[in-house]
Amino acid sequence: MKSKRRIMFILLAVLALVAVAAWMMVIGRGHTVYLDNKTLEDYQGQEYKAYERVVITVKDEKPIKLGKRERGSAIWIGQDFKMTVEITEKKGDEPVVKEVSIKLPYSVDGIVVNLPAYLAGLPEEAWYSEFVPAVTETPDEEPGVGDEFSMGDGLGLEGDLGTGDI
Amino acid sequence: MNQNNNIPLNKRAVELARNNAVPIMFIIICAVFIPMAGFTPGYLVNEIITRMGRNLFLVLCLLFPIMAGMGMNFAMTLGAMGAELAIILVADWQIWGIPGVVLAMILSIPFSAILGLVCGTILNMAKGREMITGYILNFFMGNGIYQMIVLYIMGSIIPIAHASIMLPRGYGIRNTVSLLNMRQCLDDLLAIRIQGVKIPVLTFILVGVFCLFIVWFRRTKLGQDMRAVGQDMEVARAAGIKVDRTRLLSIMMSTVFAGIGMVIYLQNMGNLPTYTGHAQIGMFCIAALLIGGASVEKASIGNAFLGVILFHLMFIVAPNAGGFITGDSMVGEYFRVFMSYGIITIALIMYEAKKRMNKSKAGRELAQAQKEEGVK
Amino acid sequence: MGTTNKAATLEKSRLQAMAADYGVPRMIITGFLLLLFVMAPFVGVNLPMQITNIINRFSWNAVLVLAMVPMIHSGCGLNFGLPLGVICGLLGGTLSIQFGFERFGTLASFGMALLIATPFAVVFGLGYGWLLNKIKGGEMMIATYVGLSIISFMCMMWLLLPYNSPTMVYGLSANGLRPTISLDGFYNQSLASFLRLDFAEIAASRGISLGWLEYIKIPTGSLLVFALLAVLMWAFLHTKTGTAMTAVGSNPNFARAAGINVDRIRTLSVVMSTWLGAMGILVYQQGFGFIQLYTSPNNLTMPTVSAILIGGALVNKATIGNVIIGTILFQGIVTMTPTVMNAMVHMDMSEVIRNIVSNGMILYALTRKQEGTK
Repeated sequence: MKSKRRIMFILLAVLALVAVAAWMMVIGRGHTVYLDNKTLEDYQGQEYKAYERVVITVKDEKPIKLGKRERGSAIWIGQDFKMTVEITEKKGDEPVVKEVSIKLPYSVDGIVVNLPAYLAGLPEEAWYSEFVPAVTETPDEEPGVGDEFSMGDGLGLEGDLGTGDI
Repeated sequence: MNQNNNIPLNKRAVELARNNAVPIMFIIICAVFIPMAGFTPGYLVNEIITRMGRNLFLVLCLLFPIMAGMGMNFAMTLGAMGAELAIILVADWQIWGIPGVVLAMILSIPFSAILGLVCGTILNMAKGREMITGYILNFFMGNGIYQMIVLYIMGSIIPIAHASIMLPRGYGIRNTVSLLNMRQCLDDLLAIRIQGVKIPVLTFILVGVFCLFIVWFRRTKLGQDMRAVGQDMEVARAAGIKVDRTRLLSIMMSTVFAGIGMVIYLQNMGNLPTYTGHAQIGMFCIAALLIGGASVEKASIGNAFLGVILFHLMFIVAPNAGGFITGDSMVGEYFRVFMSYGIITIALIMYEAKKRMNKSKAGRELAQAQKEEGVK
Repeated sequence: MGTTNKAATLEKSRLQAMAADYGVPRMIITGFLLLLFVMAPFVGVNLPMQITNIINRFSWNAVLVLAMVPMIHSGCGLNFGLPLGVICGLLGGTLSIQFGFERFGTLASFGMALLIATPFAVVFGLGYGWLLNKIKGGEMMIATYVGLSIISFMCMMWLLLPYNSPTMVYGLSANGLRPTISLDGFYNQSLASFLRLDFAEIAASRGISLGWLEYIKIPTGSLLVFALLAVLMWAFLHTKTGTAMTAVGSNPNFARAAGINVDRIRTLSVVMSTWLGAMGILVYQQGFGFIQLYTSPNNLTMPTVSAILIGGALVNKATIGNVIIGTILFQGIVTMTPTVMNAMVHMDMSEVIRNIVSNGMILYALTRKQEGTK
């Protein structure tokens, strides 16, 4: 009898942990959002001009100030991206403040948003593109490749005695 | 303590000093070194607080096997490896911030539990030499199995999506994995600053909860069983306790909690040294616990706190103090490593010598008893 | 019919017993090595050269492995405190260079290194033996940490001791020894070059071709020194003191009852092991060509311990045969795995395999139920 209750308890605990883990996977997915203040040329025959100046605030981070043809980036955890934008459309205009929220796709790491297109209310295909990191081949020394010295065994002290920081 | 009242005060002081020789020695070392190192008190306090948050959880994990009489768990590094595997996956899945940390903790549990199961089974086969077996086991796992998984299987069999954490050759993980997006997120949440000293309240709450758990656990049936097994395996077996199972559980608990502790440690560090991260953990935690006045068969939460403070104080000031004395800061760096090893050596010697003395005393008493029996 | 059956089963059980005696891990390791040998020619590995490599490495390491024997015999367990002996050897080697004994030839340089190392080995060994007598039963763990402590202590000392030979110290600051010191011009190859059999040279001097034999090179001198030490060790184990040592190892209570001074015998074995460790590292260095200081002494411990275990030694039983077989098997794997694996799959897993083999072997030995003692 007792063991049955025990098994139930363990099962419940495991289930709870799995549920929490799944939940964390949903809410914890991080994205990098790249914000472009660039002119979108010729979208269905129309042109969306870059703003003179945009100031973007994401959460409590330092505001990102973008001039024409500039790109800024912000990191965001979760899929409901929110920001406050302060737009100066042309030189001498009064800045307009807007609250913007964007739904981010779960499986994409880096998302590029074209601001003028997005704020003009165009469909997704116009403002959205995926950020593809430039492949920079930094030669990274391969660990664990046997060297002739001392039979190559990093047994024990792992090269140097003191790890600098523990 | 009451019956000690009739003993003269100076004798009691001597007794106290003898029982706490190691912490007192380290307090003296620190007292000498701190002025030489020339750090500001604010810096020192800040560093100590950070390191307490980082290491306390790991050090406390050592208490379970000590309870069960299995000595210092040199194989607690296995838990660290479990956590590292979990954190590599979480970093690859790009789960950031607090959810990332929580996910890594949960994910580390199955890994650590399996490693702990293996470890406990092996240690049960090597009764009487658990420590050396655990010590070798952590090389077997760390330089063997773990490296095989991380260096060859990850990226080739276990899918790894991001090239940023992979070796250029297309499989295997890089020497360091950046955890920038979960860096100190646990420490920063609810953190308070007092005169420039950051106190990571949430981390300390976690440590506090763990301490309460340990206190509670000592009183449970399993905790009592562990202590009985630690006292005398044969007596415990005669009393109907499943000795092997109890020992196995103590190691598994230690390993699983070490995994969670390692996640706390890594989120504080902000990057994962893939192949060396776990290597020193066991040694430093054990040294810290021993410096806090613990011995191989007896350790308390207080020992862990005091030990972490003293050990890390020495660790911070030793290079500068070494530089001050000899003009070469490398000497100081080697000195602190020497102190860590030295203290473990001395503690082990004291433990074995005492064990042997008790054994021979018991033997003499037995002989005496038999003699008396014969006379009758 | 029945009798043949019986004989067959008997034969079978005998084979089983033999197999059990040989041990499963050893069988796996031997099989693995044989497999590597068989595969080597197919994947284009130069087998004679690899054999030369194995012989060479054997000549470097065998004496170190031999250093395990006395302590195992006296029941002190596996000598994880090998770094202590190694440190003595390092002291001897560096001091021999410091005092410039190479003026009198490479052999003098080596001999003086050994001579200087000896008093250190005796003194350290006595202290270490005394310590191990205090903590009977927990030798291995303490030996490990004594080794680590002395290594880290000497790390400080290498920086602080007043060495000033320009070949050894850091160029600019002139304080502190370099981590790696070349032995060229000192005792590099001092033993190995004695009576060295180099088939390539023979072929060249006679103007003939010896085919694959030309890849073979045998460091006769080093092997002779090892053979001498091994024979001495074997002879010692058959003297009265030697048998007493075995008795202490297999049953200390019985030995005590027989009037043997257990502590003294144990101390003697520790001193012997320490001295052999010092000798071993000097032989290793003269073959390898470099002195390595600071943390490197630690890198030799596990391979050495596992080598003797692979050879079939137990925690409390070891023979000269175990030393020879174990060193050949272990060094065979160390040499063959990277080359064959690389040629086969372009994936160098040798280090991982080596770590699994060496530490797994030690684990196996530690978890085995021992017959007889304890």
